[in-house]
Amino acid sequence: MFGFIPASGRRPRVTRPLMVTAAICALTLAGCSGGGSGAGSKTSSQLSLQFPGPPISLDPAKAGNGGSTMFASLAYDPLIYLSGSGELVPDLATKWGFTDQANEVFELTLRSGVTFSDGSALDAKAAVASMNYFLHAGGGLVGNVGQVAKIEDVSPTTVRITYKAPTPEAALTLTQYNGMGNIIGPKGLADPQSLLTSSDGTGQFIYDGATSVAGNRYVYKKNPHYFQPAAQHFDSTVVRVINNPNAVLSAAQTNQVQFASGSANTAEAAKQAGLKVQTAPFFNWSLNLVDRQGTVCPPLADARVRQAIALAFDRPAIAKAMAGSYAAASNQVLLPGTDGYDESIGYGYDVAKAKSLLAEAGYPDGFKITILTESLLDVNNTYSQAIVDALGKIGVAATLQVQTTGIAQFSGDALSKKYAAIIFPTAGTTMSQLESQITSGLFNPFNSTDSQLDSIMQEAAKAESAQARTAQYQQASHRLQDLGWTVPIFATQSVYFTASGLQNFQASVLNPNPMPVGPTAELSWRLK
Amino acid sequence: MGRLIVHRVAMSIPLLLIVSLIIFGLEAVVPGDAASTILGQNATPESLAALRVQLGLNDPWIVRYGHWLGGALHADLGTSIISGVDVTSSLNSRLAVTLSLLVPTMLLSAVAGIALGFASAVRGGILGRFIDVVSLFGFAVPSFWIALILVTFFAVHLNLLPATGYQDFATSPTGWLKSIILPVLALSLQGITSVAKQTRDTVMEVLETDYVKFLRANGVSERSVRYRHVLRNAAIPVVTSLGLVSVGMLSGAVFIENVFVLPGLGSLATQATLDHDVPVILGVGVFFTLCVIAINLVIDFAYGLLNPKVRVS
Repeated sequence: MFGFIPASGRRPRVTRPLMVTAAICALTLAGCSGGGSGAGSKTSSQLSLQFPGPPISLDPAKAGNGGSTMFASLAYDPLIYLSGSGELVPDLATKWGFTDQANEVFELTLRSGVTFSDGSALDAKAAVASMNYFLHAGGGLVGNVGQVAKIEDVSPTTVRITYKAPTPEAALTLTQYNGMGNIIGPKGLADPQSLLTSSDGTGQFIYDGATSVAGNRYVYKKNPHYFQPAAQHFDSTVVRVINNPNAVLSAAQTNQVQFASGSANTAEAAKQAGLKVQTAPFFNWSLNLVDRQGTVCPPLADARVRQAIALAFDRPAIAKAMAGSYAAASNQVLLPGTDGYDESIGYGYDVAKAKSLLAEAGYPDGFKITILTESLLDVNNTYSQAIVDALGKIGVAATLQVQTTGIAQFSGDALSKKYAAIIFPTAGTTMSQLESQITSGLFNPFNSTDSQLDSIMQEAAKAESAQARTAQYQQASHRLQDLGWTVPIFATQSVYFTASGLQNFQASVLNPNPMPVGPTAELSWRLK
Repeated sequence: MGRLIVHRVAMSIPLLLIVSLIIFGLEAVVPGDAASTILGQNATPESLAALRVQLGLNDPWIVRYGHWLGGALHADLGTSIISGVDVTSSLNSRLAVTLSLLVPTMLLSAVAGIALGFASAVRGGILGRFIDVVSLFGFAVPSFWIALILVTFFAVHLNLLPATGYQDFATSPTGWLKSIILPVLALSLQGITSVAKQTRDTVMEVLETDYVKFLRANGVSERSVRYRHVLRNAAIPVVTSLGLVSVGMLSGAVFIENVFVLPGLGSLATQATLDHDVPVILGVGVFFTLCVIAINLVIDFAYGLLNPKVRVS
């Protein structure tokens, strides 16, 4: 091993052997590279997808939502499919609707000829069993599906859901994103633990736990019994867990994955590498003034103080500084393009007026406040710091308390009632979702209520026409602005990198987390 | 030597107990738990309470540790709270990946580090100064940064090696080799430079000793002086350095596995820690402890081979 250091002390002639060795290595690797797709690369009938983290659970009743719906939707069809454009499309249910005027009794007609991967047929009894399992499995999405009184099979192909309160968006709650609509087969329900290592759905693919590595790659094989073979464009799909943004970009650039969730920071590099960069508005970054009774920060009990804070932000400038063209100023809880969005709503930017309102409220010199934030979504806390800086200009001395260990711990801290304000984005496509979000959980640890807002939302739930509901949602948006509970500042876009040949991908404000599989050939992603 | 091995193995049992107890204790005092991970931000106090009961998280931590220890003593490390996969199976499936990363890295660090260090010590001059500079560079530059540079050049620009991922040796030996080259290079740099620096300093020190002058004065060939006498006498500090470097690589592997998306034990430990998945954290912790014990055993064994006085003692 030390042969290149001769005892004689002569200068060793190492150049030629080293160069030859290097050349052989390079040629060997190049010869074996097969086009350079590398380890874990796709075959002609495999789709490789990237996701930043492992699934919360592979049991669809305990799974997460948003982009992580991918893990469930590959193997489990929903009753109703939400397309990338935000359209409700028949899937396991071919028809649906309310049977009463109060929007409380909802019926679905099931598709015939559908079988689970365990071989049993889909019928109303199986669907009801799956939905009831979801309601009692202890998953985190139960709060998203409305107040269900009972679910019953009224015929072999008809399922009836009775709600305790008007639930106008029942159809949306039965799409792939909310858990209850993803139907699990009888065999899986009989042994829920088996759902963690295999799947029992009617979806395009069957989860293959044997070739998957938990936390790293999740392999799905084509389901030979899928009811719509024309929609199956791949023999297999792999979801690779990659959370390092640079690794995500490298994997997309070298075609190891054909779909990846990117970031504004790496989007330009992705474009230059020939990837398609597609976006959809998603997170509405907000300063949530949760201590509305002034329990830990007395000034916040005064609506004028909350209004003053809302006036402190030069939203267009902050949005541009934070994410350039991948963010936009946001003045209301709804994003442009969603039902109820009203261009006339907005706080504006007026430091003088903000100071004046603070003085009126008895705080001419401002006050101190500790704001809870986290570093998983707000990496490096640049967003939070920008918000703190803006508050400083109206005399509010804010201190950040950063939770670095994860969203779950952040949520726990927010619920502890120690913090008067938190920085966290809202995300939702309907006012009903957003109002529910803002008035519960980590957005409302002190359990504030507003009878006027409740009344507006109840009227919206009972509205018999879409126009009437839209009007109610606009009223709700106005009311939320007056309350100043949640101060939207800027909306960031979800950024996706897709291979240039990936077709049928569509993301929109109504569905910023599109899924790779759909009930028709046109709704399922394919590679050209 | 046999007694040494028996002694070391016997000592490892209380060490494993202490390490597992510390891991369990630390996890118990860290904010959050697996229930909050599973339920996420949509959790309600009621659903959290119900899931904690279901998972047994309300039991005193010493009781939970007792349950785990009881299973571990029967070779049952439990199942992952999050994925439901048997912990032993998880460790087995990821062991090959981590070993594929660590073993070549250790070999490369040893071979290249000793060769460079020895060459710079005996030749000195520009090569010696170059090794010094490279050693400083190796200490200063984090391995994940090196990894990014390697990926950009060899995977993205040259399209020669995969940017991420791992392939089993059994499935494709060439694919396996290609998947570990960049991670091994990235992880080796610090090891090579550290060993090279240690070797250079020790060899230079030995070269200045009286017995080396005496050997030369007696006409012993330079080759014999360097390889039979100097290298062997310089070996013990180098072996010690190799041991430390190897233990450090266990933690380095955690970062490298993340950058190259390798399904090894390091990434398993990272994810399990984020998820509060205690059985998996303990499983990986026990395994890494066993690795450290094994490395120390190998080092002790090497001391015995290199130095007869150690064998006698």
